[in-house]
Amino acid sequence: MLPASASAAEGGENTVVPSFGSAGAPLDPSGDPLLAATFSVPAVARCVVRRQRLLDRLTDGTNGPLTLITGPAGAGKTTLVSSWTQWATAPGPVVWVNLDCDDTPGVFWAYIVEALQRGLLGLTGDIVLPVCAGSVDHSLLVRLCSALERLPEPVVLVLDGLDKVPGREVASGLGFVLDHAGPRLRLVLTSRVDPLLPLHRYRTEDRLCEIRGADLAFTPHEVAVLLRGHGLVPGGETVDALTSRTGGWAAGLRLCALAMRGSGDADGFVRSFTASKDAVADYLLAEVLDAQPATTRELLLRVSILDRVHPELANALTGREDAERILTGLTRANAFVEPIADTRWCRFHPLFAEVLHAHLRSQRPGLEPKLHRLAARWFTGSGQAAEALAHAAAGGDWQYGATAAVQDLMIGRLLAGPDAEGLEGLFSRMPEDVPGAEPAMVAGACHLSRGDAAGCRAHLARAEHHLHGKGARPTPETQLTHALLRLLSEPYEQQHAGADASAAAEEAARHVGELMAQLPPFRIKEHPEIEVLRRHGLACALLKSGRLDDARTAFTEAVRACTAEATYLVRHQCLGRLALAEGIDGALTVAADHARCSLAVADQLCIPEPCRSGAGHLALAIVAFERGDVCTAIHHLGPAEALSDTCNDPVLMTERAILWSRVEVARGRGAAALAALDELGPSLLLWPAGRLAVARSTTALARGDHAAAISALDGAESGGPSRTVALALAHLAAGHTKTALRLVASIDDSPGLSLPDRVRIRLLRTRAAMLDGDPAAAHALLAQALDAARPEQLRRPFTEAGPWMRHLLHRSDGPLGVHAWLTAPPPDRQDDPILTEPLTGREREVLAHLEQMMSTDEIAAALHLSVNTIKTHLRSIYRKLCVSRRREAVERGRELRLL
Amino acid sequence: MQYEFRVTGHVSVVLAEAFPELQRVLAPRQTLFFGAVTDEAHLYGLLNRFRDLGLRVEEMRRLAD
Repeated sequence: MLPASASAAEGGENTVVPSFGSAGAPLDPSGDPLLAATFSVPAVARCVVRRQRLLDRLTDGTNGPLTLITGPAGAGKTTLVSSWTQWATAPGPVVWVNLDCDDTPGVFWAYIVEALQRGLLGLTGDIVLPVCAGSVDHSLLVRLCSALERLPEPVVLVLDGLDKVPGREVASGLGFVLDHAGPRLRLVLTSRVDPLLPLHRYRTEDRLCEIRGADLAFTPHEVAVLLRGHGLVPGGETVDALTSRTGGWAAGLRLCALAMRGSGDADGFVRSFTASKDAVADYLLAEVLDAQPATTRELLLRVSILDRVHPELANALTGREDAERILTGLTRANAFVEPIADTRWCRFHPLFAEVLHAHLRSQRPGLEPKLHRLAARWFTGSGQAAEALAHAAAGGDWQYGATAAVQDLMIGRLLAGPDAEGLEGLFSRMPEDVPGAEPAMVAGACHLSRGDAAGCRAHLARAEHHLHGKGARPTPETQLTHALLRLLSEPYEQQHAGADASAAAEEAARHVGELMAQLPPFRIKEHPEIEVLRRHGLACALLKSGRLDDARTAFTEAVRACTAEATYLVRHQCLGRLALAEGIDGALTVAADHARCSLAVADQLCIPEPCRSGAGHLALAIVAFERGDVCTAIHHLGPAEALSDTCNDPVLMTERAILWSRVEVARGRGAAALAALDELGPSLLLWPAGRLAVARSTTALARGDHAAAISALDGAESGGPSRTVALALAHLAAGHTKTALRLVASIDDSPGLSLPDRVRIRLLRTRAAMLDGDPAAAHALLAQALDAARPEQLRRPFTEAGPWMRHLLHRSDGPLGVHAWLTAPPPDRQDDPILTEPLTGREREVLAHLEQMMSTDEIAAALHLSVNTIKTHLRSIYRKLCVSRRREAVERGRELRLL
Repeated sequence: MQYEFRVTGHVSVVLAEAFPELQRVLAPRQTLFFGAVTDEAHLYGLLNRFRDLGLRVEEMRRLAD
């Protein structure tokens, strides 16, 4: 298969937008290149009737915020608006978006933002395209509104075909934008159905101009003009008959004109049409279709499976060579085929396409899947993998689709890419038992993207069976995909010391690297997500086996590799886990930075909740707790627990339980602390199991039960130096000072010691020196501990050490003079409460007056506004600040530094 | 749920095949489609299908089971 760039060079204008995609131009969340055609105003055909009454209505409408054009298919909605852009004077630049059937909310808003940015140079503000196709974050809409509010001149935004975008989410988002974008936005919507907007409210507020089906219907005069435009000379009777028979339906009238011109006997046609009892669309389309030569009819039927038609694609479907000529002829005859600007592609009028599709099913049963398969192969040949997949799926040719996906290295995008949901949705309809290695691998990847690693492994086993079967010669792409999925789905469970699972992960990652080297470098460059996923998989395995230093290095490298737009999801996850590893290791400052970075990536790119990782929040909770701020720690645990991977990733689950138990200990609830740990159950992994044992021991010790503290560590096979430190602390509490010191000496300066453990060791020695009656040595050791802890503001080990610490610290010659940080109140919370919707200038003014304790009447007088207006402003201030009273509004305004 | 849809004009067999789940009967100036409708989603799907094919639904009612 040819790569996209090569085919674009060879095929000339073969593809719609060869310059997008591989060149790194903007991608929409579903990964398709943003089609230039989406933003082009549809061409106005030669013989379109100039309908001044409607053009004037539209001009009037665009002086207000919203114009809604509704009518049935073929009523002339699009034609009206596109001819208006040509013949009338718009109040500002016109930005056009053609909406598509499969636009999810993410794609929808991406198109709108992109269209506005293309059409308006004055649009400012940091609007980042949403990264996930599924849904968009509210903050995107807020940023969009504020950017629109700052525009210097009005803009007309035309959304053509709003009915094609399903769902309430898009409509409510539009409603929000309408309410908050300010007076410069002039929205024009065309739709077959009334959108789910509060139209009634808009009507009463006089913010809506409607052009409905009855307005769009042709008057007899317009019918006459239309027919004359097609070179016909109709009499008054004919005009009246056609007007009443079609009800002024634009598409019907155009079909009439075609049929009249085609039949040669215009009067005869009119007579039989008006006499016929058939449904208008049905009769006319059959009539027009029958009038075509057989080859044209066959072509029309066969291409009806497509959204857009390319002459060569049409040739591929008919097996003939005459598509170009036929399509040009149809375009010239104005027969519902319209060219797409500046390309060889064209599209059919949707009504025509639907009816043709019905004719295809009825006249050529069984042909449809075959046509889809042909189309899939043509799209593969022209390098449009996404289209190829869609047709392979529609044709039920899963084996071909899965193979194409694997050969095109799309599996990485299924796991990391912005179009993951789309691909997964496509392949979720694939039956489980399609034979072959590639379908099994694709099914496995779908499972993995839903977080089901076990399901993925089951499918991979099936794939291996095929790969190692007789005569199988897997391509490098197949091998690479397989190795990558293996790396990412293996549990790397290490249940016994000695069996080093992380070494297996390193081996697997190396293997993936070798396979990548076998492919031409430009292909790897086109798929940056593969390298990123490789590093991510390795880093996660290292973290699971407790090699914190190596995991931190691997995550850092993975984050560094996440430069492409297609990898932001992995960037978010890597940053979160990196922060977690750093938090556990005691590198609190960098942990907090990376965790905030991870959350910021998620917010900026509007990553939807199900794809978010709780690692960042968890890391922030650990940082806050180690710094002695229990409240903030609890505050971060909430959002961490709301995200799915906190509850199914073994490392995150363990760390969450450990942190909860430490929080409960800090709150003096020992039983609850134990319960938090017991709730988790035994861990299958060696390192988390060791961490749990240490946490149990610490909890037992906090409850004063040193025997339990020692026995909790008995079973733990690993846990490394942490376990030794916990054991030493337990022995110290039990009065076995010598044992404790011996234990500590054995691991002193071991490279795997985390900062909190290093501090704990020094404190243990301090205590031992005190018990030994050597206060000078104790003070020196305490000073060492404080020096070690100060850079990271690590407070928790000092609190945990016990009451003796307080006596030592608060002595008159104690170290608190230098180490005031230890008892300082927790630093200001970094995450300032944010305002989801900014206050408008007026609202700020009103708020400022509220602060001066003025009454509504007084504010109204001061601002020269009516009392009711002030009340409206107050209501929106309350809503935006999430308060219900004046006093609260002022307080919150001060908190947010609005005052 | 049994439903009946009355569509303006006579609908040809070809177009009626877009509604394999419904039966078609020609009436004066109208076509009747009737049959079992699974649920509300199916109902709205049918209405959309009528609309996409340019057929005008004049009347729709639920029949006694």
